[in-house]
Amino acid sequence: MTRLFKRHDKSDIFIHWFNAACWLLLLVTGVGLIGNPDIDPVGSWYPDTLRTLVGGGGNLLTIHVVIGFAWILGFLWYLTVNARGAAFFLREVFMVSPARDMAWMIKKMVLMTLGPKPLKMIGMAPELPEQGFYNMGQKAFAQASVVGGVVIAVTGVIMFLSDKVFTAETAWIVSWSVTLHYIAVGLVFAGLLVHVYMAAISPEERPGFRSMFTGHVPEDYARHHHGLWYREISSEPAAKGE
Amino acid sequence: MAKQQFAMVIDSSKCIDCKGCVISCKVANKVPEGFSRNWIKASVPAFSMGPRTRTHFQPGACMHCDTPTCVQACPTGATYKDAETGIVEIDNSLCIGCGNCIPACPYGARFRNTAIRKADKCDYCPERRAAGLLPACVDTCPTKARVFGDINNPDSEVSRMLSRNKGKVIKIVNAQTDTKPNMYYIGETAPTDWTTAAVVPASMTVMKEVSPLIKGIVGLSGLGVLAMLGRQFLAGSSDSHEPEHHDEEARHD
Ligand code: HEM
Repeated sequence: MTRLFKRHDKSDIFIHWFNAACWLLLLVTGVGLIGNPDIDPVGSWYPDTLRTLVGGGGNLLTIHVVIGFAWILGFLWYLTVNARGAAFFLREVFMVSPARDMAWMIKKMVLMTLGPKPLKMIGMAPELPEQGFYNMGQKAFAQASVVGGVVIAVTGVIMFLSDKVFTAETAWIVSWSVTLHYIAVGLVFAGLLVHVYMAAISPEERPGFRSMFTGHVPEDYARHHHGLWYREISSEPAAKGE
Repeated sequence: MAKQQFAMVIDSSKCIDCKGCVISCKVANKVPEGFSRNWIKASVPAFSMGPRTRTHFQPGACMHCDTPTCVQACPTGATYKDAETGIVEIDNSLCIGCGNCIPACPYGARFRNTAIRKADKCDYCPERRAAGLLPACVDTCPTKARVFGDINNPDSEVSRMLSRNKGKVIKIVNAQTDTKPNMYYIGETAPTDWTTAAVVPASMTVMKEVSPLIKGIVGLSGLGVLAMLGRQFLAGSSDSHEPEHHDEEARHD
């Protein structure tokens, strides 16, 4: 029987899917709150339709705000039950070894889109440098979603508080919050397209996908995809079977 | 009948600066202290004229423009030009009070209401109109300097006033920002030099400028995913596993 290595805690799995669900809903409702032809991501038909559907832009705003607070509360809950998991995640994600990780990133992008031939042509070995718990692609996306998530949450709360505590003199903070909210969501969304492909569609990451439900990955996958992590943990006794 | 354009036609020479319009508006719309949705401006008297010195009074308010810069500055569409009535409205339930629209009005017609902490301005008294009444300022005016109606309806009083005074209709327009206002002064009016160029806050300008960039980044990311999908189906995934097998061999050495 292949050895299994624990990758995600139950709370990690919960917060990931909770976050993903919130993101989906916040994105769908949030894009509908943009009502200006200069910045509409998909055109004015979208906000128009969505607002009619929920009985007005005010209702849409309320729905968006309620989901947004649920999202923030979910994260606060996660931090209280699994602060160590969160600390581990942040350490893994923000620790980058530049030479190794940049080489991995560039090679991986070429391999995934064009294959190994272009690398061989310019005399580069197509082998990827070993990666730790997360590879550089995962780290880059995770960094973007952590920083982006904080910006989105903070600016969101500021916009919510606008008509509760802000004044004409301080409303510029609200206005800049709108801008930052918009930019942060756009950038994380760009990363999200690649994340969803790599995680859910790309066949080589299938065991990683399953781990987001079961919590663990088989030895083979750990060795091939996260070599540095594998060597660190394989000397420790690992969970056998289920 | 085609869509309406509610507007105000003003004979400012009739205005006696009684400020009845300002007060009745404040009462009708519960405008907080220190703010006003409308105004009466006065020209600077030319005292050199001696006993014949005179001042011209000019009633005004939001001009419900055809190309409203306030609407262009609003990120959510909470302020919009109503397609049916031509009135520039504020949807209070959607406005978050970011304040972008306030400097964007060349007429200073907008303010951040201190009670609701959101944008506020003249909306031609919808509650009164629903009850069959005129806007408060128009109803109150003792000299009937302010006339209100639909200029797209040829039978309305405002339309008749405009056609009667053809060639003598003045619009107060800022030289840098012509917003195509729907407030018409007939005969003569003064002052006309009090407008300010519309200022769209930097935060909004930045958002408009980075918007295509962000779409470009999302597009590139999407193209990347398509390229990976294409490779997955055309070349198969075994190919991309190749380097990892090398990896394994290298370790076994
Ligand atoms: C259908 C949507 C999604 C799927 C299928 C998905 C799948 C996955 C999987 C399988 C992993 C585990 C990777 C591993 O540990 O080997 C993962 C990790 C992660 N996911 Fe998602 N995810 C989705 C949506 C999202 C969303 C919306 C966000 C945040 C905006 C997000 C943020 C993350 C982060 C930060 C990680 C950890 C770092 C990484 O693996 O890149 N995910 N996701």
